Amino acid sequence: MNQLAVKDLCKTYIVNKRPNNVLRNISLNIEEGEMAAIMGPSGSGKSTLLYTVSGMDSATAGKISFFGKEIEGLSAKEMSRIRLTQMGFIFQQMYLLKNLTIYDNIVLPAYQADGGRKNRERINERARELMRKLGIIEIAENDITEVSGGQLQRACICRSLINQPKMIFADEPTGALNQQNSKEVMKELNRINKEGTTIMLVTHDSKVAAKCDRVLYIEDGSIKGEMSLGKFEEEKLRERERKLSGWLLEMGW
Amino acid sequence: MLLHILKKDLKRKHSMNIILLLFVIMAAAFLASSVSNLITIQGAVTSFLEMAETPDFITIALSEEEKSDIDTFLKDCAYVTEYEVIDCHTIMEDEIEIISCANDPGRHKYEKGNTVCIETVPEHLMKVFDQEGRLFTLKEGEIAIPKLQAELNNLQVGDILKLSCGDKQREFTIKLIVKDAVFGTQFMGFKRLFVSDQDYEWLYGDSMSVHTLLYGVNYEDKDAFMSEFNQENFQVVSSVDGGTIKMCYVFDMLIAGILLVVSICLILIAFLVLRFTIVFTLQEDYKEIGVMKAIGISDMGIKGIYLLKYFAIALFGSAVGLILSFPFEKLLLFKTMANLVVQDVESRAEINLLCAAAVIFVVILFCYSTTGKVKKFTAIEAIRNGGNGERFSKGSLLCLHKTRKMPPFVYLACNDVLSNMKQYLVLTVIFCMGTLLILIPLKAIHTLKDKNIIRSFNMQPASAFIDSGNMEKYIGEKDDTLLISDLNQVKDALKAKGVEAEVWLEKEYVVSCYGSDPERLCNYYTSQLIGKEEEDYDLIEGKLPVFPNEIMVTEKTAEELGVGIGDYVYYQYPDREEAFLVTGLYQSMMNMGNGFRVSQKAVFESQYLGGLFVIQVEPVDDMEEEELKELLHQLFPAYKISTGNEYISSMIGGVLDQMDALQMLLSGVVLSINVLITVLMMKTLITKERGEIAILKSIGFSDQAIKGWQSIRILIVLGAAIFFGTLLSEPLSQLSLGPIFGMMGAPSMKLITRPFEAYVVYPVIMLGVTGTAAYLCASSIKKVDLKEINTVE
Ligand SMILES: Nc1ncnc2c1ncn2[C@@H]1O[C@H](COP(=O)(O)OP(=O)(O)O)[C@@H](O)[C@H]1O
Ligand SMILES: [Mg+2]
Repeated sequence: MNQLAVKDLCKTYIVNKRPNNVLRNISLNIEEGEMAAIMGPSGSGKSTLLYTVSGMDSATAGKISFFGKEIEGLSAKEMSRIRLTQMGFIFQQMYLLKNLTIYDNIVLPAYQADGGRKNRERINERARELMRKLGIIEIAENDITEVSGGQLQRACICRSLINQPKMIFADEPTGALNQQNSKEVMKELNRINKEGTTIMLVTHDSKVAAKCDRVLYIEDGSIKGEMSLGKFEEEKLRERERKLSGWLLEMGW
Repeated sequence: MLLHILKKDLKRKHSMNIILLLFVIMAAAFLASSVSNLITIQGAVTSFLEMAETPDFITIALSEEEKSDIDTFLKDCAYVTEYEVIDCHTIMEDEIEIISCANDPGRHKYEKGNTVCIETVPEHLMKVFDQEGRLFTLKEGEIAIPKLQAELNNLQVGDILKLSCGDKQREFTIKLIVKDAVFGTQFMGFKRLFVSDQDYEWLYGDSMSVHTLLYGVNYEDKDAFMSEFNQENFQVVSSVDGGTIKMCYVFDMLIAGILLVVSICLILIAFLVLRFTIVFTLQEDYKEIGVMKAIGISDMGIKGIYLLKYFAIALFGSAVGLILSFPFEKLLLFKTMANLVVQDVESRAEINLLCAAAVIFVVILFCYSTTGKVKKFTAIEAIRNGGNGERFSKGSLLCLHKTRKMPPFVYLACNDVLSNMKQYLVLTVIFCMGTLLILIPLKAIHTLKDKNIIRSFNMQPASAFIDSGNMEKYIGEKDDTLLISDLNQVKDALKAKGVEAEVWLEKEYVVSCYGSDPERLCNYYTSQLIGKEEEDYDLIEGKLPVFPNEIMVTEKTAEELGVGIGDYVYYQYPDREEAFLVTGLYQSMMNMGNGFRVSQKAVFESQYLGGLFVIQVEPVDDMEEEELKELLHQLFPAYKISTGNEYISSMIGGVLDQMDALQMLLSGVVLSINVLITVLMMKTLITKERGEIAILKSIGFSDQAIKGWQSIRILIVLGAAIFFGTLLSEPLSQLSLGPIFGMMGAPSMKLITRPFEAYVVYPVIMLGVTGTAAYLCASSIKKVDLKEINTVE
């Protein structure tokens, strides 16, 4: 079953009374368990696509269905409920709330989802387990100003996973990280994906995209092409990277 | 670049600028109108009293003839420069009647409220004026009445009154409502009505009744004159000096004074807002400032653009405030004008102008010092830290996972406030000031409305007050027999209806007396209770007099006489002196805080009786005041019966009305300040926290939860501010209201607060209004767009 099905999606911004067609008739499907990368030049509409399909931004036209459910007619409240329980977000900048400790940042969405506030123990356990897996358990009680960028991004990943979402949206998750940190983050994302979470990520980095199952290339708000790489295997990384660079050159990267 | 910043600032922060502008407008308008009012009223009172030729000293005496021995004394006294005696007729209840009253056709009974006298239009001292401040004359058949009397009886020009004396009677048309400088205020228990010379002569010329003689005296040396006058020990009903008369206008100034305090608070708030916006702007423009420095623009140049902007706001705001101050001032003066003849009000414009200019000046000065921060921003720092101006973030004090059942958005709100106290300090201070602005006047009102206030008027609390309208008839009686029998009559009548009650009244004697210095004589009223065992007065120190030779003195009089508890006060009679031991100090707002009280055992000769209060009734068993009033009304249809509240409001009603109006105004001002500040705060916070809001949106917080998070913070701050304000209101009201009550004669007034209104109703209104404003304002979180912040520039 398709995790995410998008048909003829259009998005137009009106700036100074002049329409700007940022997305033009985009159709795509992302399957359950897939890890898809979106690439494309700056300003081509990648972020807009991500926010529109996740219901944070409204579509001008087209159909988006998430897990078979059309998100068009949903109220803002229902939409935020879906984001809370079924989607996870990771951003380029390590957006965490600055007045909260790392740990509190991570459990926040779960506490919010836990309306009756009966499951806090279970949430705490899960948070600790996630943090242990991502190797940030030692910094749990730290302030966000006291830790490195890589650690912060891993904390964001923990946060996005805390409610066991069906799908994760990542907007340039490695964009602000150095090589080393970037590698670590991708390792985690690959692992999460292997465990069954669908991932849609926007990236500028072909090395990052090479670790995904499929790459979509967007230009001027339309999908210019797509290439399937198959399930990621560490050993074939070099080969995948070469294949992808060739294709990207073709696309005009 | 400079202009670019300015343009961006005006575009992006227009709500901030508008709010700042509103505060400058309010501050300028309030300051200009209150200062100018204060000066106008101060000047008007002085000039009005001068115009009316208010004497230095006034005394009222009763006499069988048109003259008394006071005349002889005044003629001979070396210190008297000028004196005048006005012969008046004190009217009894049955000597005046309403024949026609356009506003209230059914009305026939004339309510006196005070001692009321008829006299001819004065020509020299103690003059009265028409509404326009002109002197006037009356023809036969015309009468002029003072404003308060007209209001009391709902009368207007053209209504008809009937005066009678013995078997003569005549109808009079009300020709005009007069302004009486000397006796026109609430605080004077003596009111004058005026008729033509011919009518006066015809009605009272050959009357056998007692003459009320009104002496106005101007002297050279107050102490010398007073000492000689008191030495003579004349039997006078009452005496006042010019200073006391002026004091009666204090209340008119009080309102202007309170507004002055409000305007100072507003200016302070404007400063806080200014500081807040400047700091915020500088933080936001961090980068630009760094870049400007890097390309070599001087600090002064950078400051210049900010100063220019705030100068423009201050200039425009003050100008609008100045314009608004004129009608506002008129509005406030209107009530006061009713009592005063205010001349040349217009000429005060320069004061308003000065105040407005002062606001501009202070704003710019303040701005200049605050923009000093520009210096601290170096080019390198700006380039390095450019992205965020946030520099005071502290770790969390609360931990989310340690809060048990708190919804996360409430936790977020608490945590924000706790970890950014400094940021919310300004808000707390402003809310706190607002709370104080509401609570302090409220305390004054509650104190004045409390049943116990009657004790501050030298009386005991009672459920009913009976004014037979003819209390004067006891004066001149040989002893208290008639009085006691009248009291018993009320008591017995009630008993016959099955109501056991105490019935009493206060007598007032006037005898000259002195304390530590035999030269310093005074003759204030000496009160004595009759008809009731138990005594309960506003004792401040010591104990109540019990024995015949014991006395209690008001603090003010004690100070004047130089006596304390344990000292003696000496009463002077023509043939002897009588010593009273001071057992206690008390306070009373009667007679501007002067007076004595003796025990019921003390004996005074009836000829020294100067006045009586109304009859007071208190049932032994609990009984509804209204029910008692109704019963008394049936028993004594001719008398005027009031409940406790009604009696108090008849005494200070006008004051209470003004206070209530002021309270409304203040509540309105405070609420609008709170709303404006909230809007300002919310807008800046939302701008500043776009990132946080976007995160919360992305992780699935609903808009409601985010709005809740944003507005609960404001409510937490407001709640804390109300709490602190309430704590502070206790000492601060003592500090501010104490002296005011002190001026009225009750320096140790115990302030009363009705807890429900002060601690529930007003806080709930404030929280409700402010919370609603915050929540509505939080709607702009909808516009926060993640994309715009998720890109590194
Ligand atoms: N809120 C908005 N209002 C108007 N135009 C926008 C808005 N957000 C994005 N755009 C425009 O949409 C285009 C695509 O932006 P974006 O999706 O952020 O591109 P990308 O992420 O691929 O760099 C850009 O030209 C941008 O100017
Ligand atoms: Mg983008």
